[in-house]
Amino acid sequence: MHKIVAAVCFAAAASISAVASAQVPNLAPGFTGLPKGSRVVMMPADIEIYSISAGGLPEPRADWTEAAQRNFRSTVTRRQGTLGFAMTQLAEKDADDFAEISALHTAIARSIAVHHFGPSSLNLPTKDGQLDWSLGDSTQALKKATGADYAVFSWVRDSHASAERQAAMVAIAVLSLGRAVPRGGQQTAYASLVELDTGRILWFNRFSRDSGNIKDEEAADETVDTLFKNFPVAK
Amino acid sequence: MNRRRFLRAGCGCSLGALPAFSMAQEPWQAPPRFVRPDTASDEGGLWAMMDREETKLRRSPFNLRDPQLQPYVQDIACRLGGDHCPDIRVYLVRTPFFNASMAPNGMMQVWSGLMLRVDNEAQLAAVLGHEVGHYLERHSIERLRSAKSSSAVGQFAGLFGVVGLIGAMGLVAGQYAYSRDNERDADRIGVLLMNRAGYDAAEAAKVWGNLLLEVNARPNGAARNPLFASHPASEEREATLRELAASLNGGVTNDDAWQQKTAPHRRQWLQEEVKRGQHEESIAFLTRASTRMHGKADYLWARGEVYRLRAGEGDLDSALKDFQAAAALGGEPPETHRGLGLVYRSTHRAAEARASFERYLQLAPEAADAPMVKNYIQELSV
Amino acid sequence: MKTLLAVVLVALLGACTTVATKKIASGENTIGERLQVNIEGPWNYISAPNMGPAQIWTMEGLPVDQLRIYSGIKDGEVIHDTRNSNLKSFSFRSNMQSDELVSMFEGMLTRGGSTFQLSKVEPSTFGGGKGVRFEYAMVTKEDNLPLTGVAFATVSNGELFALLYTAPRLGFFPRHQARVEQIARSAKILPTPAAPKY
Repeated sequence: MHKIVAAVCFAAAASISAVASAQVPNLAPGFTGLPKGSRVVMMPADIEIYSISAGGLPEPRADWTEAAQRNFRSTVTRRQGTLGFAMTQLAEKDADDFAEISALHTAIARSIAVHHFGPSSLNLPTKDGQLDWSLGDSTQALKKATGADYAVFSWVRDSHASAERQAAMVAIAVLSLGRAVPRGGQQTAYASLVELDTGRILWFNRFSRDSGNIKDEEAADETVDTLFKNFPVAK
Repeated sequence: MNRRRFLRAGCGCSLGALPAFSMAQEPWQAPPRFVRPDTASDEGGLWAMMDREETKLRRSPFNLRDPQLQPYVQDIACRLGGDHCPDIRVYLVRTPFFNASMAPNGMMQVWSGLMLRVDNEAQLAAVLGHEVGHYLERHSIERLRSAKSSSAVGQFAGLFGVVGLIGAMGLVAGQYAYSRDNERDADRIGVLLMNRAGYDAAEAAKVWGNLLLEVNARPNGAARNPLFASHPASEEREATLRELAASLNGGVTNDDAWQQKTAPHRRQWLQEEVKRGQHEESIAFLTRASTRMHGKADYLWARGEVYRLRAGEGDLDSALKDFQAAAALGGEPPETHRGLGLVYRSTHRAAEARASFERYLQLAPEAADAPMVKNYIQELSV
Repeated sequence: MKTLLAVVLVALLGACTTVATKKIASGENTIGERLQVNIEGPWNYISAPNMGPAQIWTMEGLPVDQLRIYSGIKDGEVIHDTRNSNLKSFSFRSNMQSDELVSMFEGMLTRGGSTFQLSKVEPSTFGGGKGVRFEYAMVTKEDNLPLTGVAFATVSNGELFALLYTAPRLGFFPRHQARVEQIARSAKILPTPAAPKY
């Protein structure tokens, strides 16, 4: 329950800040791009897809989530060639050893989403408007185990209106003579690039928009592309 | 051979329409092992959700990964499951509530509040057998279908998930409690499985009788007690189980083996029980437990703590009595003397307080609060 | 961690204009008129309605680290936010001894369901009076992230003054611990202002 509440609050806070985030830096101060030849490990994406029932409550859909995870991985694999650096995807079972680092990163990502990309009343004065977060030397273990210099973390929450919900939405629109526009579903996602030597978050991207449908392959491609659109590769 | 199978969940038949039967007439047989369902089906979706909850549980700090205790409980579950043994995966979970559960994917959870409360292996087998019964009859799939229509499958999944909704356990369990027919079937099957695995089926009724003692001790009565999550205790249930066991003779209880295997965890579990802050329930339970063969000093210490913390009329005297009794038995937890010290201190018996605190430090020089206790001693010496 | 964040975000959703983040500058600062601290290096103070009686500061953001500061809490006062009324509540009592203060804070920190282990409890001065300092380790059930904490507490004229800092064990607690200890050492309880004479 907490997760769902948190996801909804997170999404709502995100939508409030839709305009503000355009001006907020995605890159850590002084960082312009990954050097060519960098070795990057991609952590298993944390994805959860929900169906919104007629009553408006989100229900986790394991089948959609599994499809989304598969699509995400295959999209990333297919995009490999265009990246300019080697990216290996860490298998879910190997991720057990890094549960604490992943949990730590999730907490920081939530902080960045709320306090950096969120409403300005929540910005942290000590960060001075910069993307200035670091996991410290805790990421060295990941560097040692994988041989990578950088890691990419990603997180996606997606909800779709079920058929009943869609019918209910039409009913609401009709009854309110077109004025009420209930949300049908929403997609919120973030991705980050971490320098494993220092633990610094070098790049962070997030977006929130209407449902992206990433259980479908094409939509997964599009989501991955949007998420990594401004990924900092050295020119 | 005339075999009668229970109607499988999902057939839409009302089990309530069946005539009640006795154990002698209808030998029940377990279904064959289950095959993992298609992800797109209801059941497959639930299965996959359970798999992810299981991964979280595996990584959770609440997972009690004990190399002695876990295989021991796994073995009991395995013998109850018979042919289904390879599909059952047991997780011991550290939480002071009485519960065990089994998800449709074979993940079984056994909570420490349950392990603390059963007197022997047979009583544990009764509860685990009951859960295996739900699993074999696929009652949770039935539950899922009714849950889906009220659009809260995620909440339902949480019932099998990590400790998550403890506080709301009572509420959620109420909404998604197994039907009474399902509960009766699981009780019946549980008793059968117990018996087949060589346990004394008469112990099943005792489990609920013991719980009722606790439930009835609560000041505001037995109304939806979160302690018992999805397993309501009732006199009716206790009576039914006694009846079911009447025709099943023989079997072991294994009090000794159980109490010895759980001994290394007893103090930790008792501390967590005390911290629940449900004084009347704890006192009822601990009074019963202090009659066990092993660990008397631990139970007396724990009850002393409860009295000390409740600090009602006459409680401090009761606390002193329990702490002193524990110390007299020997093998008492060092905290017994800290407890004595704190009570003496609050009743202005300085010399006795000092002596007790000093004994505590002697027994537990590396205790986290040793510096604070040393300070208490100094203050009392002035 | 999550509850406080949820409180803040819900306040925002309510288009409540009283959510604010303020920079706490180096130097002398007073919390709640009674507790004065001298800090080295700035902190972030986040305030929103219904967060409970403690003032909450953070370096990395609420989902990561929280410094809770209690100033002049009175007998009978609940020491946390009151959103989850189905969870057990914890109140301060003026006659609490050190071990009881520690239990009270432990109860508050674990209200939502976390593992908790005290690693040290020792006498300490805080605010200029005798008090207790304790260290702890915990893991919240939702985040599954190991946290470390340090706390100081004292009762002065029947009122509670305390400071608790909780942050992830990996990286963050070690990073900020020294500054937290320094804040605790600098703490001074100010006398209640005398009633004006007319």
